[in-house]
Amino acid sequence: MAIVDHTATEWKSAAKRAERIAIVLRVLLWVMLLAGVVASLAPFYLMIVMSLKTPGEVASTGPWELPRVLQWSNYEKILTNENAPFFMFLRNSIIIASVSTVGVLLSSSMVAYGFARLKFPGRDRLFILLLSTMMLPSIVTMVPQYVLWKYLGWVDTFYPLTIPAFFGGGAYNIFLLRQFLMGIPRDIDEAALLDGASHSQIFWNFMMPNMGPALATVGIFCFIYNWKDFQGPLIILNSPEKQTLELGLQTYRAMNQNQWELLMAGSVIVMIPIIFLFLAGQRYFVKGIVMTGIK
Amino acid sequence: MKKLLLRTLLCILAAFVAALGMAQEDVTIRLSVWDGDKALETIRKIAHLFEQDNPHVKVKIENYDYTLYHQKMIITYAAGVAPDVVMMDGSHYQFLATRGALLPLNKFFEKSPGFDINEYYKPIVDSYTFHDQLYILPRDIAPIGLIYYNKKMFKNAGLPYPDGSWTWDFKIRPELKEKDFLWVCQQFTKQDKDGKYVQWGYAPGWPQMQADTYALQLGAPNYDNYAEPTKVLIDQPNHIKAFQFAADFANKLHLGPSNQESAGSLMLTTQQMFVQQKIAMYQNGIWEVPNMRKMLKPGSPEWFDWDVCLAPAYVGADGKPVRRYTTGGSGYAIMSSTKHPDLAWQLTKYFSGPVGMGEMAKAGIAQPAIRKLALTEGLWLPGKNTPLEEQYPHNRIATDQAVPYVVFDPTTQFGISVGDRINKGLEVLWNGQTTADKLLRENQTLAQNRLNDLRKQENLSPFNWTYAGLVALGIVAGILFWIYRPEFGRKLTQLERHDAKSGYKFLMPWLIGTAVFTLGPMILALLMSFADWDIIAPAKWRGVENFREIGVVDPSFWKSLSITAIYTVFSVGFGIVGSMALALLLNQKVRGVSLYRTLYYIPSITSAVAGSLIWMRVFNPDKGLLNLVLYGPNGKWPIGAALSQWIMGDVHKPVDWLQTESTAMPALILMSLWGVGGGTVIFLAGLQGIPQHYYEAATLDGAGIWARFKAVTLPLLTPTIFFSTITGLIGAFQAFTQAFVISNGTGAPNDATRFYVLHIFSAAFQSARMGYACALGWVLFVIVMVITLVQVKLGNRWVYYEAEAK
Repeated sequence: MAIVDHTATEWKSAAKRAERIAIVLRVLLWVMLLAGVVASLAPFYLMIVMSLKTPGEVASTGPWELPRVLQWSNYEKILTNENAPFFMFLRNSIIIASVSTVGVLLSSSMVAYGFARLKFPGRDRLFILLLSTMMLPSIVTMVPQYVLWKYLGWVDTFYPLTIPAFFGGGAYNIFLLRQFLMGIPRDIDEAALLDGASHSQIFWNFMMPNMGPALATVGIFCFIYNWKDFQGPLIILNSPEKQTLELGLQTYRAMNQNQWELLMAGSVIVMIPIIFLFLAGQRYFVKGIVMTGIK
Repeated sequence: MKKLLLRTLLCILAAFVAALGMAQEDVTIRLSVWDGDKALETIRKIAHLFEQDNPHVKVKIENYDYTLYHQKMIITYAAGVAPDVVMMDGSHYQFLATRGALLPLNKFFEKSPGFDINEYYKPIVDSYTFHDQLYILPRDIAPIGLIYYNKKMFKNAGLPYPDGSWTWDFKIRPELKEKDFLWVCQQFTKQDKDGKYVQWGYAPGWPQMQADTYALQLGAPNYDNYAEPTKVLIDQPNHIKAFQFAADFANKLHLGPSNQESAGSLMLTTQQMFVQQKIAMYQNGIWEVPNMRKMLKPGSPEWFDWDVCLAPAYVGADGKPVRRYTTGGSGYAIMSSTKHPDLAWQLTKYFSGPVGMGEMAKAGIAQPAIRKLALTEGLWLPGKNTPLEEQYPHNRIATDQAVPYVVFDPTTQFGISVGDRINKGLEVLWNGQTTADKLLRENQTLAQNRLNDLRKQENLSPFNWTYAGLVALGIVAGILFWIYRPEFGRKLTQLERHDAKSGYKFLMPWLIGTAVFTLGPMILALLMSFADWDIIAPAKWRGVENFREIGVVDPSFWKSLSITAIYTVFSVGFGIVGSMALALLLNQKVRGVSLYRTLYYIPSITSAVAGSLIWMRVFNPDKGLLNLVLYGPNGKWPIGAALSQWIMGDVHKPVDWLQTESTAMPALILMSLWGVGGGTVIFLAGLQGIPQHYYEAATLDGAGIWARFKAVTLPLLTPTIFFSTITGLIGAFQAFTQAFVISNGTGAPNDATRFYVLHIFSAAFQSARMGYACALGWVLFVIVMVITLVQVKLGNRWVYYEAEAK
């Protein structure tokens, strides 16, 4: 009896110790996670606070200090500047990002279907070619492409930033959608083929509806990618009223060096739309990543 | 009655037709400028006046950032979308004029009655004339020989106001010390109780201005001959002396704020420092007047009495003062691609004529290039009726007094890329981290080599596009052969043929896209990498010279390749470890995983431009977040002091992360880790894909946390690690935006942030060297391809695929 009691107390204290360790670990975990949150959000705090300061406060107060009076006029100054029309930039960003997203969705799903479901001579080598274009840095083609745009008369238009999306839509997206299509059982489309359906019918009526989540993922990634693109617009767009938000912010910055309160207000304006879009569509982000196992 | 009605109708109809005709005549003339916000107001006003005088013409103003302005003009001209009239200065017009991009203006003004080119200041007309043709009609002459001075500070220091008769020789002359510029500057230098400098005598508008002015006055030009340069002369003793003096002026003598003190800690331009009364004197051209007036409104708390005077002369060994000033000044030129040359000339004449100059003068932006106007009271010189605010600066006659001393250095058509090398790494000199002797000697060699190369290239033979086309065809045939090699000798059944048909139908967009937008340009890039092509003049055959230049001559290639490699290794390495660690933490069944995931992810989707701007503030030496953490709120924490000692060599200098050569790249790597959350999401997905029963089995076998991680988690995560490494490396090699924004496209300090892609960008779109940029691009492609293939090969050894294990 005594022996049993002894082990019971020992067991109890061991359990208590384990519990205590677990609690400490738990707290440690929380501290680390919160530190991570602070590190990712602190720069945003800095930006918002500074965007509401006066130039004097930017120069004399610490970065974390709140402004004495909120200077909403900084935002007004930015939005009413005739030489950097932010509303125009916003419009241009929306047009470029949405048109190219539509192009990517249409063409990459088509090509992915071709690679996933059809057999034709040269398919495997063409697929290797597709994969190898993934490692091609975009700047390498950007220089000769500029010559092409020059001959097509496309410099300083939205065409170079949107039309290519309709022709393939990017190796990465094709690859992603092909992987997804490979996961859809073949029985149904084979049955449909036997019933005399054509491949385009199968593609439109059966595959497209079933690709919904994958398309949403590709679409959001693509929209954000094009929205954030800086190099392309920098090279192709010249006229001030044709610039995108990203490029416009840099142009504004070049004209207003060291007016940090205004630059930060501009940064806030540029960031807001995309953060909202992300929050609205993040479900598809995560789903898409889990689904494909890759970015 | 009927007749009348008919006549009225006819009249109305005629008027309607006429109106229609006139409406069709409406022409838009595009005018590009680099003026800032304030000057643009005036430019728009002049354009509006012009539109009133010419009802059928619309003027569209396009403003560009000066640092990219000339390059934009070159490439938009090449692309056929150049503006009609362009603001232009001496630095690039010869490049454009020799390539036929600018219209000579003589034929226009010879047939314009009442126009007399002799009314314009002669020095600027001469400098805008090339092979006896005028290419730019000057709108202003802007000697950079003015000192803006703070009368209040002079009064408080008990000093007489300067009259411009001072000199900057090194001798302190007791009897004439008020005329000794250096002595005067000394009177304003002040330190606080910690020994920190808080007030100074003088600062130039930008660091090089001071050095250039001294070099001119010491008689030390950049080239032996500005029209036909053969020798670069920046290693001459006087040139070195002038540049070293300009650097020491701030860093050693503390007569002016150092870069570190102004741009670094205070993050102020020297102009803002003048306005905030931190410096007593500020040198620049007259064009800063509108800004000054705006910031120093009479009656406002910021206001103090100020004026301008001539910048000092230099007294040489013979005791005679030498007075020379560099100069700005600009005008308008007409692009030869314009469809309306006569209207473009009307606009040019208007903007560079009495009306345009008058408005600019009234706004205080520009001293008229027509001397008569520059001497008119109430227009340029303040008159009796001039409103109080526009009275400043009173001594505007100084601009006319400065004109005889201006020295134009029109950049020859070689100047663009030779100039890049002449000025390479100067910011390191201004920061006091090198000597003028060392830097300028290095740059001398680089610039001379480049000049020799350019002179040699004048004799290159034209690029043979027929041969190039044949080679391209050969390459295409080779690719097709490789693709269809396995199919040779195979016969397709009817069903297979049908399938193949639909297959190619589905692939069509990609096939066209790849051919036109990827493979075609790649082949073109390969061909162009053997050419010398500025995209305007016909291409020339350069053979393997581009590649030789990359390996042996280009001073920035190895630097930019190595910093890009360092960036890639560390940002990808730390990034993967960091995002995996975060994912492991998040995988511990914490509540609110999705909230954390979102918060961690947000930085990686935000705008790269805005992100870079924010991080510039984080890295600010004085008011930045990073130094706050390292130095503590009182600025005295030991870790910060140790870092200062180690990096800056001075305990009292806070580390200026982005402006110091050795820390700029580590700072960018740190910044890249902000986006670690992007990878976390992927790793989290990978972790959640690991079946729970593996862990249970391992636990039953008695495995602890670490053993489980080693035996289960890590092997099953290898595919994710592999994928992240490959995409990460490809992405990191293409880093561009952050360096472009932070260094404003220059890769400063001394190429420490010159990512490889930025190097290509600047070769193509800043120096207009398309052939060379293509060669650089192919080198990058080969590097990335080799690295990726090696990784894939190695990956087979360490990546664990479940399918294989089964």
